[in-house]
Amino acid sequence: MMAVSPTRMGLLRLRRRIALARKGHDLLREKMDALVMEFFEVLRRIYEAREGAFQQLARAHAQLSLCLASWGTLETEQAARETRKGVFLETSLRYVMGVPVPVAEVGETVRTSLGRGYSLLSPSLLDRASEEFERALKLLVEVAELEETARALAGELERTRRRVNALEYILIPRLEAALKFIAMRLDEMEREHFFRLKRIKAVLERREEAGGVPEG
Amino acid sequence: MRREVVVVGDRETVTGFSLAGVARGYVHSSREETLRVIRGLLAEEGVGLLLLTHRVAEELGEELRRMLRGKGPFPMVLRIPDRTGYRPERDELEEMVKRTVGAEVVLRREEE
Repeated sequence: MMAVSPTRMGLLRLRRRIALARKGHDLLREKMDALVMEFFEVLRRIYEAREGAFQQLARAHAQLSLCLASWGTLETEQAARETRKGVFLETSLRYVMGVPVPVAEVGETVRTSLGRGYSLLSPSLLDRASEEFERALKLLVEVAELEETARALAGELERTRRRVNALEYILIPRLEAALKFIAMRLDEMEREHFFRLKRIKAVLERREEAGGVPEG
Repeated sequence: MRREVVVVGDRETVTGFSLAGVARGYVHSSREETLRVIRGLLAEEGVGLLLLTHRVAEELGEELRRMLRGKGPFPMVLRIPDRTGYRPERDELEEMVKRTVGAEVVLRREEE
C-alpha cells in the first residue's frame, strides 16, 4: 500500500496518475511491437548475409591452405606481414527507434597484386588467397553491422518489456489499490458525518420536547 | 569516424586477414593472454570491428560474455568460423533470439 492521503484531492491526484500510467503503458507497448518487427527484419537479413559471408570465408581458407601447402607456411606468413595494411571502416551511428546502432562502410576491399604491396614474385596462389580473404572481409563487415544492430534492438526490447511489466503488474495495480482505499475511506467518512448529523438532530429534538428551549 | 579492424584467432585466420590488409591480428595461445588482449581492444576507441573465431570465443567462455555484455555499438564483435569451418551448435545469436523471442511468446500468451 502506498502512502496516500484519504482526501478528495488525493483521489483526484491518483486518478490522474493512473490515467498517465495507462497511457505510458500503451505507448511502451506500441514501441515494443515496433521493436519486435524491426528485430525480425534484421534477423532475416542476418541469416541471408551470414551464409554468404561464411561460405566466402570457407573458400578463402581453402585457398590459403593450398598456398600454405604448396608455397610454404613461412613464405606465406612473411608475405602476410609485408602486405600493405590499409583496411579501415568508416563508422557512424544510426538510430532505430531511438536505439543507437553501428553503421560501418569498408569501401572496396579487393585490391590488385600491386596494391597489396608484397613481392611481385610471389605465386598466383597467394594472390588468389588474398583476394578471397578481401572478399570475405567485406561481407563480414555487413554481417557484423547487422548482428550488432540485432543485439542493440534485443537489449532495448528487453528494457522496454521490463518497463511495460513494471507498469502493468506493479505500479498500476498499486495505484488502483490506493484509489480503492481512498474511495472506501471517503465513503466511510461520509457515513460517519451523516450519522453525526442525525445524532445532533436527535439531541436537539429531545431538548425541544423537554421544553428546554423557550418558544420564541 | 575511421576505425580499424582487428582479428583474433588461429594462425591461419590471422594470416588470411593480414593478406587482406587487416593491420592487427592476434594469434590465440593462452586464455589469459587473449582475454587481456580483448579487454584492451574493447576499451580502444579506434577499433571498429573485432573478428573472433568461434573456437576461441568458446574457450574464453563466460568471461568473454561478461566483457561483451555492457558493450556499446563499437567495437562491433563478430564471431566467425576458423579454418576448419567450426561453428558451435548454439551460437550467441541464436541464444539471443531465443531469449528475446522466447519471452515474447510468453508475453503473448498472457494477453489472452
